[in-house]
Amino acid sequence: MEERVLERKGLVVRHSLLERIEHWAVALSGLVLVATGFFELPVARRYFITEIPGLGWSGDYITSLGIHYAASAVFIAACLFHLVHHGLLRHDGMVPRRGDLRASVEVIRTFFGKGEEPPFDKYLPEQRLAWAGMAVIIALLILSGLVKTWKNLVDPQMSPALVLTATWVHNGAFLLFILAFAAHIGALVLKPNRPMVRSIFTGTVRLDYARKRHPLWMSRLEGESLGPEKGTKGGAGDTAGGHGRTGQGASGP
Amino acid sequence: MSESPKISRRGFLKVAGGAAIAAGAGIPGTAGAKEPGGAATLIDIGRCDGCPNYEMPLCVTACRERYLSRVPEPVDPIPKLFPRGKVEDWSKRKNVFDRLTPYNRIYVQKAAVSEDGKNREFHIPRRCMHCDHPACATLCPFSANKKYENGAVVIDPDLCFGGAKCRDLCPWAIPQRQSGIGLYLHILPTLAGNGVLFKCDLCHERIEKNELPVCVAACPREVMTFGPREAVFAEAEKRAAETGGFLYGKTENGGTSTLYLSPVPFEKLNGVIEKGPGKPHFDPVKPRMAETNALAKAVLLSPLVGLAAAWFGTAVAASGSEDGKGGK
Repeated sequence: MEERVLERKGLVVRHSLLERIEHWAVALSGLVLVATGFFELPVARRYFITEIPGLGWSGDYITSLGIHYAASAVFIAACLFHLVHHGLLRHDGMVPRRGDLRASVEVIRTFFGKGEEPPFDKYLPEQRLAWAGMAVIIALLILSGLVKTWKNLVDPQMSPALVLTATWVHNGAFLLFILAFAAHIGALVLKPNRPMVRSIFTGTVRLDYARKRHPLWMSRLEGESLGPEKGTKGGAGDTAGGHGRTGQGASGP
Repeated sequence: MSESPKISRRGFLKVAGGAAIAAGAGIPGTAGAKEPGGAATLIDIGRCDGCPNYEMPLCVTACRERYLSRVPEPVDPIPKLFPRGKVEDWSKRKNVFDRLTPYNRIYVQKAAVSEDGKNREFHIPRRCMHCDHPACATLCPFSANKKYENGAVVIDPDLCFGGAKCRDLCPWAIPQRQSGIGLYLHILPTLAGNGVLFKCDLCHERIEKNELPVCVAACPREVMTFGPREAVFAEAEKRAAETGGFLYGKTENGGTSTLYLSPVPFEKLNGVIEKGPGKPHFDPVKPRMAETNALAKAVLLSPLVGLAAAWFGTAVAASGSEDGKGGK
């Protein structure tokens, strides 16, 4: 499913099914990783988490580790798929652009009633920055996690300096990941952003919202739909857009 | 205590490995052997008499002389933990030597065994087994606990947070905690951490200098044989075959670098020794870390799975784009 306008339904397709699967694979496995990573600290028994019905296993480090590994396999595969698949297809809509930092500050000010929002492309500048930030955090988590897994499985006598580095990179990135996740959820709570949330579940946003807030994206989408190589899709009244430069490449809302 | 025999420089695990063992217990030399697990210790239970003429066994005395003063004095009062309030303070019980404590990292367990109508009393030095795949070290959340190439599993007191995960993971619950000291005091003393865990470090600093662990050096009856793993294991097998003895530690928890040799089955010893906190058992031990090995392999393969899926997905998308050109 590509980005396209569903005129009759008053909707715009923002995320394909594949992108939503990517997002939820990363998000759900990431949440499991946060929980089981937390349970690898000696906290579950101390803080009575083991006594919560269904979480009795949280005090068993080996069980938590097994679940952590299973979630890691999904997480790593999904992240690499996301990066390579969209990279190869040049879906760079979420890659930060020059001026995004300054633009983000301006946009954030508007959330607090200062100034007016500029016209947006498919993604807000802070979404592009957040994607890049999360990509760096995830890269650190994956690389350090792979080193730790190698140590656990293959080389228990790995260089102490390497083990210590991997451990603290993993622990530090773990904290940053939690903060980034909190910021991600926090951004969705802001009223102007709420209409975007439905897309990560259904794939679509309201057409009137998209035209009003994302005119750069819509002008390209609707402009392309009128081009000679783009026709209708999904029935009369629906117009399809291609994978424009800023059209795809991420699964954030 | 007399200084231990010196092991020739840099030759501890290689060139003069045999000489090192010979100094300890007369094992034939195995020069040049490659020991992937570093050093090992054979503890011959049949040789230990518990040093009846001394207040405490000499191996224990030697260890305490070296390590007792290395435990810092805890703060007073020790912060109460939220929410459980549990602290472990051995600082006023430093003299305890009939179990493992932060101040007593080896102790001699007693076992009175009845066999063929005869009563025999055994004395068994107990300390960290220095496992080949120590979950206590690999799963330490702060990498404060490490397995070194020389075979020693060593807790770094400067990095330990005192959560006692290592003790929970150790099949013998060897590490012992002293609350009120260490890194956690400077971060969130009531919310996270609870002191520092201590255990035998195989005299890691000494064996790096090709010296014997103090307990091995102090023993007048050569109960403990320390040296290159292959040679020690071979000696253990040889003695077990010659005497009909039993070995413990070779396969337990996936293998350790400490082998106990006993004239009686370990089930018998296990049945009569006093077990509990600081007093380890002789149960058979399965390596629980191994339960996760298949999933760990899946993690290591997952980047390839992601790349393969991306290649396939991209090829499908490109093919769909070609097929649909002009039609969408």
